[in-house]
Amino acid sequence: MRRHMLVGGAARRLIGPFLGSPEGRPFPPNNNNNPFERSLRQLSGAGALPQLTKDRYPQVKRRDFAELNEKHLGYFKNLLGENRVITDKDECQGFNIDWLKSVRGYSQCILKPKTTQEVSEILKFCNDNRIAVCPQGGNTGLVGGSVPVFDEVVLWTGLMNDIISLDENSGVLVCQSGCILENLENFADERDLMIPLDLGAKGSCHIGGNISTNAGGLRLLRYGNLHGSVLGVEAVKADGEVIDCTSALKKDNTGYHLKHLFIGSEGTLGVVTKVAIQCPPKPRALNVAFLGLESFDDVLACLRQAKRQLGEILSSCELIDNPSLDAVTSHLNLKSPISVYPFYMLIETHGSSCDHDEEKMHGFLESCMSDGLVRDGTTTNEIGKMKAIWELRESITEGLLHDGYVFKYDISLPTREFYSLVPVMRERVKDAVRVCGYGHLGDGNIHLQVTLKEFNEEVLRIIEPFIYEYTAKLRGSVSAEHGVGFRKPKYIHYSKSPGAINLMKQLKVMMDPKGILNPYKVIP
Amino acid sequence: MDDYKFLFKVVLVGNAGVGKTCLVRRFTQGLFPPGQGATIGVDFMIKTVEVGNEKVKLQIWDTAGQERFRSITQSYYRSAHALILVYDISSQPTFDCLPDWLREIEEYASNKVLRILVGNKIDREDREIPADVGEEFAERHNMYYLETSAKESDNVEKLFMQIAEDLMKQARTRDLPRYDSNNQTLDGKTSTISDSSCCSRLQ
Repeated sequence: MRRHMLVGGAARRLIGPFLGSPEGRPFPPNNNNNPFERSLRQLSGAGALPQLTKDRYPQVKRRDFAELNEKHLGYFKNLLGENRVITDKDECQGFNIDWLKSVRGYSQCILKPKTTQEVSEILKFCNDNRIAVCPQGGNTGLVGGSVPVFDEVVLWTGLMNDIISLDENSGVLVCQSGCILENLENFADERDLMIPLDLGAKGSCHIGGNISTNAGGLRLLRYGNLHGSVLGVEAVKADGEVIDCTSALKKDNTGYHLKHLFIGSEGTLGVVTKVAIQCPPKPRALNVAFLGLESFDDVLACLRQAKRQLGEILSSCELIDNPSLDAVTSHLNLKSPISVYPFYMLIETHGSSCDHDEEKMHGFLESCMSDGLVRDGTTTNEIGKMKAIWELRESITEGLLHDGYVFKYDISLPTREFYSLVPVMRERVKDAVRVCGYGHLGDGNIHLQVTLKEFNEEVLRIIEPFIYEYTAKLRGSVSAEHGVGFRKPKYIHYSKSPGAINLMKQLKVMMDPKGILNPYKVIP
Repeated sequence: MDDYKFLFKVVLVGNAGVGKTCLVRRFTQGLFPPGQGATIGVDFMIKTVEVGNEKVKLQIWDTAGQERFRSITQSYYRSAHALILVYDISSQPTFDCLPDWLREIEEYASNKVLRILVGNKIDREDREIPADVGEEFAERHNMYYLETSAKESDNVEKLFMQIAEDLMKQARTRDLPRYDSNNQTLDGKTSTISDSSCCSRLQ
């Protein structure tokens, strides 16, 4: 029984814990489910606070929202009790700063509702009184979407952490939106199921935040994105009205599919309070291969082979270029299992039978070698080694930080062009310590990184807006999985047509006419 | 794709610690990595060699010898052209295990596979298995025999070149086991799964 556990979800847990941000920088341990203690500790340790957003971005003006007064606070305290309304300046700090420490708001009020009804009453009151609200979950976003820009009231979902039900026949799990992803994973794991979403920030991020940002992650290739696996959503509109779309049905074509409006809209159309998510059975067989390749053409051919030969068991297909791996091996003292190549691929399978999967993996590797695509590699289904291989991929973000300042871009490109941006950028930014690319090859999502000794405004102007124009020319997306948040609304037009942006604006006006929900974000 | 005349798959097996990985690294990279950890799973690499002016590609699969990591199964043996069974001449237990490895080879590998017994670590002074004992074992089981030192680079090149030459000869006389891993079609077969007693009752 114990062995069986190790091969299944426990292996996933073992493989995952060193993961950190959505790209992999480890978070400090967070056992008490309270990210703010962690944030405070970090802040007091780190010393310098990021500049206030209002000062760093003076062109962004505070809109005509009410200033919070005693009467408002009185209402909140009456509704939630003293303990669930935070006004202490130090306690508010952690809620005001994003994980990357790139933006800082100055909210003086954090609300901690426990129920949908409380969220509804908060929003109704805020809407009536024109008080701006910033919904926040685990605060692990990378585009400044989860912290206030000015003094918006923070609505924190962390106490909404009940798992409501799990139907072991259909695999549908229903829970409140503040459940931490890793807790859900453990819960599903005990029932031989898995959550169809896995990302570095799982120890801190909330499922409601994952849904609001349509988070992607490492195994999207296999389990699809949240528009498919989230069967239902309950959300509260700006005026406090509860919209119940928590159908737990796989098929339900009655009317407009409204749940999709709340998946990926980053809290600008409503606050997600409840979720129904489809959990697949957890795999009983895991295999990982790490391959060395000579050229990007070989990488593409290898990807095609993997799709053809590993078919339904392929769960991850990641690309790492040599400079990315070098950041890990030279800065973090991790060892690559194979010699040096321009490109590496990490391929993982999830399946239900060890023999079957191993045979497939072997057939795939053999034909890749016969075709001369793969020069060197290693494959394993031993947990310790699988973990060591994943660690190479997951530690890249952390390794790059040792170079100095990192410009990070999260871009979708047609697979053919997946890597084309990297050499172009290397040519443009001659002063860079490193220009490298890695990411979810199977999903066409590359993380392009440019590192410098320290931040340099001139280099920024060499990179932007060029990188967005280049991406737009190839019909890619300027934000593949990180979202738009506060930092990217002005680039949205590179990826969306004027008509589409206009319809977004109309939807926003209709669902949140006073614009109180997560203002200054997403919509340009 | 580069140009080559033959491609052969060579698989190394044998107990943990006998030096399989060192033999491969010595041959493919000219290195002797000291203090190497145990191989877990299977490592694989390509080495192109020239035999009589013709390019031959060797696809080398280096497997884990440790019982608990022995992930190598049927599929690895089945398509091998050559199997190198390695023991350590300074370790009697690694020699004593050879019959177990042979049983596995008999069970899974093609009967035409080229089999080579290798006594490794001849640089060591504490030899436990005399060369003639190894040779006699190899003869009895219809295998080639060679003693090597990955550390001193003795006979390593020779081992793999000999294999390449032999396999080429075999291939020319069409005596090579043939297989094609890509040759899968959708012409499946259908088998009826039923409990006959139950069916007869229904009839």
